Amino acid sequence: MSDYKYIGRSVPIHDAQGKVTGSLRYAGDMVLPGMLHLALLTCDIPHGIVKSIRTERALALDGVVDVLHCFNTTKERFNRYRNIHGQKLINQEEIFPERVRFVGDRVACVIAETPQAARAALPLIEVEYERLPYATDAKTVIESGVLDDMFEDGAVYPAPELINGEQPDLTGTTITQTQAHFDRQSHVTMEPQACIADYDPLTGQATVYSPNQSVNGLRTVLADLFDLPYHKMRVVKTTMGGSFGSKQEWMAEPVALAAALHTGRPVKIVFTREQAMLSTITRAAFDGKMTTHVTPEGKVLSVDIETVIDAGAYLSNSLDYCIVVSSKIFRCYTFPYVRYNGKAVCTNSPVSGAFRSWGTAELYLLVEHHFNELARKLGMDATDFRLKNIVKLGDVDKKTGVSLGDVRIGDCIKQGREKFGWFAKRQAAEAFNAQNGRFLRGVGIGCGGHGNTYFPRREDFGAAQMRVSEDGTVLVNISLHDHGCGTVTAFQMMIAETLTIPIDQVAVGEADSSVTPFDLGCFASRTTYVLGRIAVDCAEKLKDLLVATIAKADGSEPEAVKIQGGQILAGDKHYSFADAAQYALHTLQQELTVMHQFVADSNPGVTGAHFAHVEVDTKTGMVAVLDYLAMHDIGKVINREITVAQIQGAVAMGTGCALTERMTPNKNGRFTSSLKDYHLRNCPEAPDVEVEFVEADSIGGPFGAKSIGELSLVPVAPAIMGAVNDALDASLSYLPLTPDRILKHLANGGESR
Amino acid sequence: MLTIQLTINGAAHRCEVSPNTTLLELIRDDMHLTGTKRGCDQGHCGACTVLLDGMPVNACLMLAVMADGKQVETIEAAAPGTKKHALQQALIEEGAVQCGFCIPGIVLSATALLEERPQASRPEIREALSGNLCRCTGYSRIIAAVEKAQERGRTNG
Ligand code: FES
Ligand code: FES
Repeated sequence: MSDYKYIGRSVPIHDAQGKVTGSLRYAGDMVLPGMLHLALLTCDIPHGIVKSIRTERALALDGVVDVLHCFNTTKERFNRYRNIHGQKLINQEEIFPERVRFVGDRVACVIAETPQAARAALPLIEVEYERLPYATDAKTVIESGVLDDMFEDGAVYPAPELINGEQPDLTGTTITQTQAHFDRQSHVTMEPQACIADYDPLTGQATVYSPNQSVNGLRTVLADLFDLPYHKMRVVKTTMGGSFGSKQEWMAEPVALAAALHTGRPVKIVFTREQAMLSTITRAAFDGKMTTHVTPEGKVLSVDIETVIDAGAYLSNSLDYCIVVSSKIFRCYTFPYVRYNGKAVCTNSPVSGAFRSWGTAELYLLVEHHFNELARKLGMDATDFRLKNIVKLGDVDKKTGVSLGDVRIGDCIKQGREKFGWFAKRQAAEAFNAQNGRFLRGVGIGCGGHGNTYFPRREDFGAAQMRVSEDGTVLVNISLHDHGCGTVTAFQMMIAETLTIPIDQVAVGEADSSVTPFDLGCFASRTTYVLGRIAVDCAEKLKDLLVATIAKADGSEPEAVKIQGGQILAGDKHYSFADAAQYALHTLQQELTVMHQFVADSNPGVTGAHFAHVEVDTKTGMVAVLDYLAMHDIGKVINREITVAQIQGAVAMGTGCALTERMTPNKNGRFTSSLKDYHLRNCPEAPDVEVEFVEADSIGGPFGAKSIGELSLVPVAPAIMGAVNDALDASLSYLPLTPDRILKHLANGGESR
Repeated sequence: MLTIQLTINGAAHRCEVSPNTTLLELIRDDMHLTGTKRGCDQGHCGACTVLLDGMPVNACLMLAVMADGKQVETIEAAAPGTKKHALQQALIEEGAVQCGFCIPGIVLSATALLEERPQASRPEIREALSGNLCRCTGYSRIIAAVEKAQERGRTNG
C-alpha cells in the first residue's frame, strides 16, 4: 500500500455536519427578500390542444400575483438536455406548449405571495382542451402511426447504423436470439426539483439558484430562451439532494425565470413528488434484441443488436441515448463483428432523459441475459463464459480506437467469484432446490463497462484556479456540482495530498457561472477523472509557483527549493505557504495564483462484476437477496468509506430496478406518480452488500483513479435477474421481475424459454 | 383560523392555523424550520419525520391542530450530550450521509428508537427506519451508525 496521507482513506464529507443538524439549506429552503412562490399546473390528458385558459377566478384569489400560460409566455423553443452552446439537438419544447403531449406536460403556473395561495389557485384555472389520439408505448406508435404528426419530423427517429469489424467465418457456430426489457424508471431523488430565479429590471441581471449539474449549459439555455446577454445570466449551483441524472436537464428553471422576468422579483418553485415523477425526466422504457453466433468453445464471433428507446413526449436527448448504447459495447467485452441499430420513438409518456449509466445499464441488461442463455446452451459456467469474451489489458475500445489501458474485468470476475464463493453457492443452491420446497435459490453474475469522460465522443475539457491566502490557506475555484456523494471532499483530499497540507487548509467551492471557470458539468462520470486530474495538475503548478517565489525571497535557485510536509524548504531554512503569499503580496506585489486548463486525452476501461445470491418465494413471487458482492476495477479509490457507500446505494437502486421499480400508464394515460405505487427498496428490504476493489495505478486520472458512480449501477439488475433465472431455471428478461410477473411465470408451468 | 398552543423544540408557541394546515406547513413554511424536509407530502418517504411527544410521525400527514397541546421536536432542537447527538456524530463518522435530504428524518426516527429500545437488534433497527426512504446510501452505513451510537450509549452509561 502507498503512504498517502489522504488518498484511499476515509474522510467525512464536507457538509455532513449541516446535513445531520438540518442547518444546511437546499434550494427549497432558501428565502430571498421579496420572494414570490410558484405552483405549476400540469395537464391531465395525454395528448391535446389547449383551446382556452381562463384565469379570472385564480387571479381573484388573495395573494395571487399572476398566472402564466401558453397564451402569454414566450413561444421560443428549447431542448431541456442542452448542456453546451451550439450542441446539435432538436428543439421541440416550449415552456408552456399549446399542444400538450403527455399527462404531466406544463400548462400554466400561478405566481403568488405565499406557497399556500399559489397552490390554492391551481384548481381555479379553467383549461379547455381539444383531445387528440394518443399512445403511451413505442410499439403502438411504430405500428399504428398514430403520432406521425406529433412533430414536424414525426415521432420515430432512427440512429445511424453502426457496423464494426468484418463478419468472420461462422462455420460451426450456433445462432441465438434473446430479448430484454426495462420498464420506465424514476430517479426518485429525495429532494424534488426546486429553484429560485431572480431578476433585477434596473441592471438586467438574472440569477438562478438551483441544484443542477451544469451551470454553464443551463446559463446558455436560459439566456437564449429569454434573449438575455450571457454575461447577465448567472447560474449558481445549490446543495443537491440527489440527482442520478435528473438534475442535468432543465424543467423547473425556465418556468421560474419566466416568472421572475415577468414580475421583477425573486420567485421560487418546488416540484411536488408527482411532478418530480411525471414532469421531469425518467429512464426510458427499453426494448432490445440481441442475436449472436458463438463457437462451441464459447467465443462470440458476431453480434447483432436492435434497440428501441421510448423517448417519451419530447425527443430531447433520446437519439443520443440510443447511440450511447452502442458506445459501450466494447468497454467490457470484445467481438470481431458487431452491427447495431436502434431507434428513439416519441410517445405520450413522461420524457426520457439522463439517468445514472444512461444507455449502459440497458446494453448490459441485454448482453448479460444473452450470455447467461449462451452459457446454459453450451453447458458452461456463466463466469467462465464471460472470461472467454472480455477485453484484456491494453486492448482498445474498438468503436473509438482509444486504449482501454489497464482494464481489469478479468481480475474482477476471477477474484470476485473466489471471494463470493460462487461455485460453492451454486452447488448449495442446487442441493437446496432439489428438496422441492416453497423457496428456490440461485446465483447470478452481472458485468459491465463504462467511461470516465466524453473523450473521444465529443469535446471534454475544463479548468481550475487556485489562490494562496495571506495565511497560507488555499482557495480553489473550479466548477464542481456535488450531487451529494462527496465530490467537494474528494477534491479537497486530492489537492491537500498534492500540496502536502492538511485538508482543512483547502477550500473548494462549487459552480457559479459568473465566478468559477468554464466547465461542461458534472455528468458522464467525468468529474473525478477529468476535473480531478485538472485539480491535481493545477496544484502541481501552484507548487512550482510557491517554489519560485521562495527561491526569490531566499535568493536561492528554484532547483534547490522543494515542498515537503506543507513546508517550503530552501537549504536548511523552512518557509510556510503564508511566508510565500506574504512575500508575493508585499514585495512582488502579486497574488500567488495559478490557472490551469486541460483537454481530456484518455479514457481507460472501467469495469465491474457483481455477484448475487437470491431466494425466490414461489408462493408470493417475492425475491430476497441473500448475499451480494460488488467487485470494481476502479484504478484508485479516493475516499474509501463514501465510495463503498455510493456503490451500496447503487446496488439498492439496481435491486429496485430489477425487482419492483416501474412507471406504467393507467387507462387514462397517466403514469405511476406516487411513492406508494413506485416501490424502491426501503431499509428492511435493502440487501447487505459487500464491496471490493481491484486497485492498480491507472493512467490519465488523478492518482490513478477511474470513475465509479454510474458504472456501479450497471451490473446490478443483470446479476439479480441472472440469479432469479438460475433459481427458477427460467429465462425471464422483462424487467422488473415483480412478484406478479414471477407468479405468472410459475403459473404457466414455468415456461418462458 | 384556529389558535393552537404547542411546544416546538422546548419553546412554547401560540399559532394561528387554518383547519387544513399540515404540521409540516406550520413547521417549514410558517416557523421556517427548514431542517424538516418535504419529500412527497403524502406520507411515503419519511423526510418530514418529527417527534410528537417523543413519537416519530410524518408531519405531512398530520394537521397542525392535532399538535395542539403537544411537544414537537424537530431536527433543529439542540442536542448536546443526548442520544440524538451521538447518532449525528456516528452518521458523520460512518460515512452514512450523502445528499442528506433523508437524514433529518432518519435522525429523528432512529433517536426515537434509541430512546425506547437502546438495545434494539439489527432487524429492529431496519424496521424502525422502514418509513424513511434513502436513495443514495443503500442504508448499510446508516445502520452501522445507529449501532455505533448504541455502542457508545452502552459504554457511556
Ligand atoms: S414528506 Fe412526509 S412522508 Fe414524505
Ligand atoms: S443520503 Fe440522499 S437520500 Fe439519503
